[in-house]
Amino acid sequence: MALFQEADGDPRVALDRLTDVLTYYGAIGDAAAELAFGFSLRKAAFARSIAVALDVDERLLDAVAIAGLMHAVGSLGNPALVRDSDLPERLATMERWDIPASGARICAAIGAIPEAVADIVRWQSEAWDGTGFPDQLRWNGIPVPSVALALADRLVRANEPEEALASIAEEAGRTFAPAHARAFMLWFHQSGAEAEPFSFPRSILHPESSHPGDLLLEIADRVDRHLGVPGRSRNVLRLAEGSARLLGCSAAEIEALRIAALAFGAGELHDSFESTLDPLVRLGLERRAEHAREGARLLANLPALAAAAPLVAARAEWFDGTGKPAGLGRDAIPIGARILATAIAYDAIDIDTRERPAARRATAGERLDGAAGTHFDPRVVTAVLDAAKAHV
Amino acid sequence: MIELHERTRRISPTRIHEILLRYGAKSLLDPFMGLPTHLNYLKRHGIAVHGGDVLEWFVRVGEGIVVNDLTILRDHEVAEIVEMIPGRIYALDLFKAWEGVFFTEEQCVYLGVWFDNVRNLRSDGQTGLAILGLWRVFCYWLQKAQEPDEMPDLPPSELAWYYIRQTERWVASNMRRNTVRQSDVMQTLERQQADALLFAPPPRNALHHADPRIWMWEAWWQGNPYFTLEHAYRDTLFGARSSDPAAYQRSLAGILSEAGEFPLLIVATNESRLGEIEPLVRNARAKVECYAPNDSEIYLIATT
Repeated sequence: MALFQEADGDPRVALDRLTDVLTYYGAIGDAAAELAFGFSLRKAAFARSIAVALDVDERLLDAVAIAGLMHAVGSLGNPALVRDSDLPERLATMERWDIPASGARICAAIGAIPEAVADIVRWQSEAWDGTGFPDQLRWNGIPVPSVALALADRLVRANEPEEALASIAEEAGRTFAPAHARAFMLWFHQSGAEAEPFSFPRSILHPESSHPGDLLLEIADRVDRHLGVPGRSRNVLRLAEGSARLLGCSAAEIEALRIAALAFGAGELHDSFESTLDPLVRLGLERRAEHAREGARLLANLPALAAAAPLVAARAEWFDGTGKPAGLGRDAIPIGARILATAIAYDAIDIDTRERPAARRATAGERLDGAAGTHFDPRVVTAVLDAAKAHV
Repeated sequence: MIELHERTRRISPTRIHEILLRYGAKSLLDPFMGLPTHLNYLKRHGIAVHGGDVLEWFVRVGEGIVVNDLTILRDHEVAEIVEMIPGRIYALDLFKAWEGVFFTEEQCVYLGVWFDNVRNLRSDGQTGLAILGLWRVFCYWLQKAQEPDEMPDLPPSELAWYYIRQTERWVASNMRRNTVRQSDVMQTLERQQADALLFAPPPRNALHHADPRIWMWEAWWQGNPYFTLEHAYRDTLFGARSSDPAAYQRSLAGILSEAGEFPLLIVATNESRLGEIEPLVRNARAKVECYAPNDSEIYLIATT
């Protein structure tokens, strides 16, 4: 099941993949926190630039940038944000206060990134006057690198940079130390509130301490738990990989499919509607296509993962050409996407049928077979069913 | 102009919670708790927490955010704290001694009004919340006196309203019994059991270097602008009795010896004091692990 094994001999390729998977982790955090696409990249770039203005130790600047990237990973699995969360507002707010600490634990467990990143993430939401969270640190007890992250957050969230400037000035002495607010204003006017685009500080990573394939699996597991479908990606990965081998796919096709199997769920993070619908009915197809687009967008700009983007993008296409978003049919749909769509549907139907009373139950195999030729490629259906049997 | 401290003690409750989880501790005692926001965090995460301190305002705040499970302040109750109530008699010159030295005339009047209003609240929980909220206003004013052009001018009642509302967000129940008491360290240790003991030893002669934002607020709560910490700590373990190095070491050793009853001992210190504290802990306990996430935060974790 291990991914990216063939790169293990080449440290440069391994490092490329690691940086892409970490960047992807940051984007997944944004999606779970319901933030705009690219938020973490902008926050990382601004945080580094503001950290210079705050006289943060030069050795910590790259850690600040990585902390900006990973700022929201603690949102994954947060009880206030998980699918079907119905916490009262007061409790949901308290749960959200734990996001930085959860993020710190996630960062601390990633051996490849510097240790300092975890604490920068942990204290990014503290306030100068002690009313922040989670630790309610106050005054100079809050480390300055975390303050840089908090200021960058304000800037990226604002509709206009001037809006951030006004709110930071207004909160000097409350959320922000007066000296930090002053330094921010100076930076704002000198830089025009612009920063160099984020460039991953690769030199401070320890690639020997984290395997990108393991990291991708960890991300998929967290996304599944967040969406209330624990283990889904691993099931789909097993089915898809087994089917691809039966169909004689190439090593490159299988590698792209593995990534796609672990990444497709991320497209649902911004909207948790999909798992409540039968995957074989047309109702909800538009939604599934939107999830496919969103999932593909998260992968498309990351060279190590980009091969999976077209597969994720086409997972809501139907074999007869009536699917979404492009209405592709037959061989115009990449083989990996055909396998992925069938494996996802099998997994969903299998869980659904197991939960129904036996008398009303059609097996997952029967239902999938019924959709061969319309929704799914008949050859792929046979392969998926064989792969499922082999696994049982 | 009053001097505000550059450095602040850093106690990270998220980190302490991680330690408690690792050792399976479900209750914790901090006999030298200070401002008990860290106990509030641990409480909200299911730990039964107990705290003690000599200063009364810390204990009162503990009644608001540690002991209190439910009580918050409704709008009219906040209004009754932040502004003068018609018909109530106020000692408006109670804090006149601070006027022109630390605060403006208007601020001193408000301190007097709040002093009376808080004492008229109906429950310990509400009183604790109000004390904490108003303390943040007090800190804001002291900071603003240092940097008048850097911080916005906000009307006292508006600022008080904002901070009381901020404070009551932390009220929550953990379905456990949580307590705070006003007593010296040794008495607290004798009277309260827990799975874990958290101890952040104050430096020797800490009284003489105490942050004015801390002792002045005790002065406010006592209604005595001439209050001194030396007076409050006169008969306590870390008061005058521990002013020389040998006595201080004996006090620490005494606490660590008394702490033998607790299955888990967490001593919070920092890089500059580690050399002084670590030998004492190792002398008192056989199994000691040093967990040092950063220079400002070092935990000596002792188990039985």
